[in-house]
Amino acid sequence: MSATAAAPIKSVDALKAAPDEYRLAVRKVVRSHAVNELYGARVYDEPAIALAPTPYLKWLTCRIAMEEYGHHVRFRQLGEQMGIPESEMTPEGRKPLSIFEFSLKTWEEFCVIKLLADLAEIIQVEDLMKCSFLPLRNLAKVTMPEEIFHSQFGKDTCTELVKTEDGRKKVQAAIDHYFPMMPAFFGKADSANNALYRKYGIKQRTNEDMRADFLKRVRDLVEGHLKLKLPEVVEAA
Amino acid sequence: MSDAARGEVDAAWAQVAAFTAEIPRLRWFSAVGTALAPAVIAAAERYVTALGLAPGPVAPVPGWREAAAITQRPDWSRDWWQAESACEQALQRQGAARFGLQPLLTALTALAEVAAGLQTCAAVALASAGLDDTALAKVAAGAAAQACHQRGLALLAGSEAGHAFTAKFELFAAGRWPLGIVGGTRFVF
Repeated sequence: MSATAAAPIKSVDALKAAPDEYRLAVRKVVRSHAVNELYGARVYDEPAIALAPTPYLKWLTCRIAMEEYGHHVRFRQLGEQMGIPESEMTPEGRKPLSIFEFSLKTWEEFCVIKLLADLAEIIQVEDLMKCSFLPLRNLAKVTMPEEIFHSQFGKDTCTELVKTEDGRKKVQAAIDHYFPMMPAFFGKADSANNALYRKYGIKQRTNEDMRADFLKRVRDLVEGHLKLKLPEVVEAA
Repeated sequence: MSDAARGEVDAAWAQVAAFTAEIPRLRWFSAVGTALAPAVIAAAERYVTALGLAPGPVAPVPGWREAAAITQRPDWSRDWWQAESACEQALQRQGAARFGLQPLLTALTALAEVAAGLQTCAAVALASAGLDDTALAKVAAGAAAQACHQRGLALLAGSEAGHAFTAKFELFAAGRWPLGIVGGTRFVF
């Protein structure tokens, strides 16, 4: 069976009959999500519990960390069903994305990471919600409400923080440090991998489209809503 | 490993497995907002004392809105949170020495996956109070999951040091939510 938007692959069993390059492309997407959901929880969400300024925010951050681990577990389980070795679905086996190289030190930085990185993740997951491989599409639908909550958490906490001059400066400083890492999250322009994903309907949009969408939405958030400045960055990775 | 040591290890795993199975059966948040019975006050006192903190007044909390406000007050006890963190770290070291770090983390991960379902319990309790507040449901679920993790650690460490988390979990198992020490008062919702 060929995998197109009109003829989706309905199950992991059906995937076995798909073209080799389709199977490899789906494996790359699942593996990437499994690795990066776990690594993000480890380096940002779990350490942020100690940084949170009240018990309310500490417990909310506990929950967010659990949900991010939960996303890893779901992608890993799908990967296991597809025959991806477990070692390839952890940061020890595969290098995580560069957006995790930021060294988290403050609560304000964590709030900015949720504001920016979780919006970027939403844009990726929105694309997967039309994926031709239905187990991945279903997984995107399941994780989306939690991703939306995490991004909203970033918006709500940053909105609260910028009400004071000190908070405003700290949020702006965190944006200045973290935002330049974001455009690369969407991958290279004219990416061969992305072309393959689109050929088979695994993803719908080019890296450039998603990056442009992110930049528009993040500008609305940072400049329109928070009334802060977005630093200039080289938009094409 | 001697037969006695093997028996001790097996018993600890069985305890944790039984505890994990018990989590979905408990009536989470079912007694929040009601008057504090003497047994609940006693458990709250044991919890705080076992953390090495001074005893103090234990107070009820009438509703979810008040609980949310208390957990956002700036005068919460950093000593309380740090005492829990120190206890967790000590128990993790003891558990890792007993079983190895990886098996310990695997058991705690299985426990966390079960505890992930507690948001539904919190949302149901909120709904029964006429409230629809996803963030507060997640806060309550985060606190409950933390208590499950801590109780699991105490069982795996097999240590006297875990008594605080045993008492804390008793409060959750009784349908309560201990909110910590705020303004010198031990609040139990």
